[in-house]
Formats: sequence, C-alpha cells, structure tokens
Amino acid sequence: MPRLPSIEKKTLKLGFMPLLDCAPLIVAREKGFFKQYGLNVILQKESSWASILDKVSYGLYDGAHMLAPMPLAATLGLNGKTTPMVTALTLSQNGTAITLSQELYFGLSERVDDWSDLNQIGESFKALLHELNYKPIIATVYPYSNHHYLLRYWLQQLKIDTLEDIQLVAVPPSKMLDNLSNGVIDGYCVGEPWNSLALIQQSGGLLTTGHQIWGSHMEKVLGVTQAWAKAYPHTHKALIKAVYSACQWSEDPENHDELLNLLSLPPYLDKAAEALKGFTSPYSMEQHYAGGDLNHPDRQQGIFLLEQMEACQQIEDPSKLDYEQVSEQVFRKDLFQRWCG
Amino acid sequence: MSYTNSLNVLLIDDEPDRIKALKEALHKLGHHVICHLPDTSELNQHVAETHPDIVIIDMDSPDRDTLESMATMSQNNPRPIVFFAEQQNDQRTMVDAINAGVSAYIADGLQADRVKAIMATAVAHFEAHASLREELEKTKTQLSDRKIIEKAKGMLMSHQGCDENQAYQTLRKLAMDRGQKLPDVATSVVEVLNLTNGLKRQ
Repeated sequence: MPRLPSIEKKTLKLGFMPLLDCAPLIVAREKGFFKQYGLNVILQKESSWASILDKVSYGLYDGAHMLAPMPLAATLGLNGKTTPMVTALTLSQNGTAITLSQELYFGLSERVDDWSDLNQIGESFKALLHELNYKPIIATVYPYSNHHYLLRYWLQQLKIDTLEDIQLVAVPPSKMLDNLSNGVIDGYCVGEPWNSLALIQQSGGLLTTGHQIWGSHMEKVLGVTQAWAKAYPHTHKALIKAVYSACQWSEDPENHDELLNLLSLPPYLDKAAEALKGFTSPYSMEQHYAGGDLNHPDRQQGIFLLEQMEACQQIEDPSKLDYEQVSEQVFRKDLFQRWCG
Repeated sequence: MSYTNSLNVLLIDDEPDRIKALKEALHKLGHHVICHLPDTSELNQHVAETHPDIVIIDMDSPDRDTLESMATMSQNNPRPIVFFAEQQNDQRTMVDAINAGVSAYIADGLQADRVKAIMATAVAHFEAHASLREELEKTKTQLSDRKIIEKAKGMLMSHQGCDENQAYQTLRKLAMDRGQKLPDVATSVVEVLNLTNGLKRQ
C-alpha cells in the first residue's frame, strides 16, 4: 500500500451524473482504489449539471464528474457565479452521438447510402427537411457541454440554421428518450447510454457520433475548485492517482462485463446500465477512459473548448480574454504529469 | 402589498403538498404564482409564454439544466433568466438554500432583497416539508414496509459509506427515477446488494 501520510482530508464527497462516463469514479470506490490511496469517498448521484456546479462551487462537494467545458465556464463566470476551478485529470474521451427519431431516421435512410460520409448525411438531412417542410425540434442537455458545441458545429458545417431550419431546445438526459418516443422532440445530441438505449428500444436511429464530427476529444473531467486544490494538495494528489488507476481498470476490455455490473447497481446508473447488458452497438462511439495521453487535461484542448464557447456566443467579449492563460490555469496537465506521469 | 411589488413566480416541483403550501405563502406576500407540475416536457415553451420574474425549482429537478440552457439563449427571450448568485455575495444564504433543496432563477435587473424574501419563504417551506415528511413516513408506513426500508438503508450505508440521511435520499431518488414506491425500491436494493455482497465473498 502506498504511504501517503500527509493527506489533509480523508473523507470526501464527490458528485456524479448517472452517465456511462462516471465509470472511473464508481470503479475507484467499488474496486477499492480510493481506499488504497487512503481516502474514504462518498459518491452522490445528481440530477443536473447545474446542481453539481453549485455544490462544488459552494463547497458542499469536494469535487465532481464534470463536462470538460464546465470548469472553464465556472472560472469565467459564464453562468453567473465566478468560481475558479481546476482539473488535473480527464476521465473520458468521446461517447456522444446525435440520434434522430425513428420517423426522421427512416426518411433519411432512403437517401443516404454511405453513413461514413458526413457531407452526404448532412445534405440528405437538409433535403429531407425541405421536402417535409418541417422544422424539427432537436434537444441538447446543458449549455456548457460538448453535446451543445458538437451539435452547433455540425449544423453550422451543413449550413443548417439553428433558428430558421430547426428548433433547439434543452431537455434533461433522463427525459430525452421518453420525449423522443412520444414525439415531443425529433432528435438529440447526448452522451451514453442514451444513444444506445434509443437503439435498444427502437425509438431512434443514430445519425452521427461526436468522434466522427470532431475526432477524438476530451469529454468528462474530475473538477475541483482552485481554492480546494490549494487547501488540500496531498488529498488532491491521492484523489487523482486513485481515479487514474480506476480509469485504467475501466479501459481494460477484460473488465467490461464487471464494469457494467458495477454501473447497474441501484445507487449508480441502475436500470439504464442494466439494459446495456448483452447489447453490442453497431456504431462505435469510441468512448475511452485511458490510453495514450487521454487523461492529460491539455492546454490545447482547453483553447479549443473556449473557441467553441465563443462560436456559440457564450463569451461576451472574447478580445478581453487570453485563452492560453485561462486554459493553462484550469487544465492542469502539469499536476497530472507530476503525480501520474 | 402594492401591485408594482407583485412578481411573477414560477414554481417547479413535483411534491404536491409542498408546492401548494409555498404557493399560498407567496400569494400572501402579494406575488402572482404560476405552478408547473409535475410534467415539465414543455418547459421551454412554458417559460417563454409566462415570462416569470423568478423561477423557484427543486434542487433535485433535472429541469434545472433546461433553465440553464434557456438562460444562455436569452438574447431571443424577452425576459432572460439569470442565475440568482450573480446578484449578491451571500454565501450563507446560498448554502442554506442548497441544503434545503431550493434553487432559483431570476429575470435580469431584479432587486436582490425582493429575491431574498421569496427565497427565504421557499427555504422555510422546503425545510418544514422535510421534517413533516419524516414524521408522516414514520407513522404511515406499515411495519413490514418500514423494516425493508430500514434494511435497505443499512445496506446502502455500509455499501456507500454514507450516513442515514444520505441513504434515505438515495432511496427516494431511486423511487423518483423509477416511478416506484419506496418499499418496492427498498426491496430491489436489498436483493441487488445481497447478490453483490455474495459475489464479493466468493
């Protein structure tokens, strides 16, 4: 057992959203990685990213499973309250997709013969909407998310106007599938398992994946406030090392079945993960937890995300911001390398 | 209270008793209250149509992220909703609100003290409701139901390393997520965790 005698705080509370990529946190607890590094961690399931951000900002949680853009948004105070945050560990890569209702998907299937050709999919989608003379309602979850940026980026590339051609709305992940099945919305861009579940329930068809649109990109991070990181440096180190071990465990294909069993436990994803057992998606979302430099929260990736925020008009005066400096302050690759490199 | 002080308050909560009591209290303060429960699938449209000055929403509601999204789309909204904390530095007020399970969104330019008064009322009602519910739970549940809930709580506490209140919140959340009754959820928690502990021992 590694000796870490100077851990300042042994009992921690971390928040998570019940999505597949919270896996490293679940694994760190269930497989004893937290314990191995001298930590006792309580994991709290949350229903919204807004709630996670509040509870971390106001110190009710020590840290949380966060969308990669969240610590940047909190540091810049984009949603109101300015709380400088940092992340020293990327939890996962990719795992997002755009799913369409069964009806629109069938209409599209008649026009598309090469599903790897993004341009063809986009052109056909536009042509279909034009023919139906219909403005579909497409949902995303949270404004400071890859899902939101990916969808906007993809639509822009296809010259589909987010006001004229479609209607963008926000819907929580847990209600996406029901709304798609009931025809309240016509499609969504969301993280796993909600795209696979649409396929399993035959409520929708997969249009494209985040990986197809952007290539490999960071998806979730382990975020803490800058003040917390300063106050508890040894605890932070133990936490990052424990969760990094769990990322590696989660990535190992040999652990796939056990991982799904752990996620299916009632306090975690419960039935939403249970439903994935025995299902092999025909599309790879390229969702990964470790490998190469995946776990480094890199400055370049931060700058890329800030540019997406700017493209979505979330940053009021971009000329006043130094993206490199902001990204370097928030994405602490240096800490990861010092502790896990 | 004069007409000009009256605010449009939108309440989003799926606890019928709590929302009713809070609505009455806010009416007494002279506010116009629009309730919205429990199905919020058309929240986007609803907010756009009712132009609330303030939205009070259960901290645990997944619809919070919908409100956050709408706030960023506010250029097109006549009454943009911004996050409450922007207006003031009152850390304690916010922590109390979070602990009570209250979150709020307000229209731009609203005076902080008016918001505070509404928040205080909401926090008081949420807290009162929590203790009332605990009492009710104790008297209402049948002995066997109570036993299985206690057992599930105990198993969750040792499995999750959490305290009794957190274990109870986990059960409640599961019941809400699955649309099941508490004793049913407790039964399945006991089954699943029994199975897991069995596997771990092997």
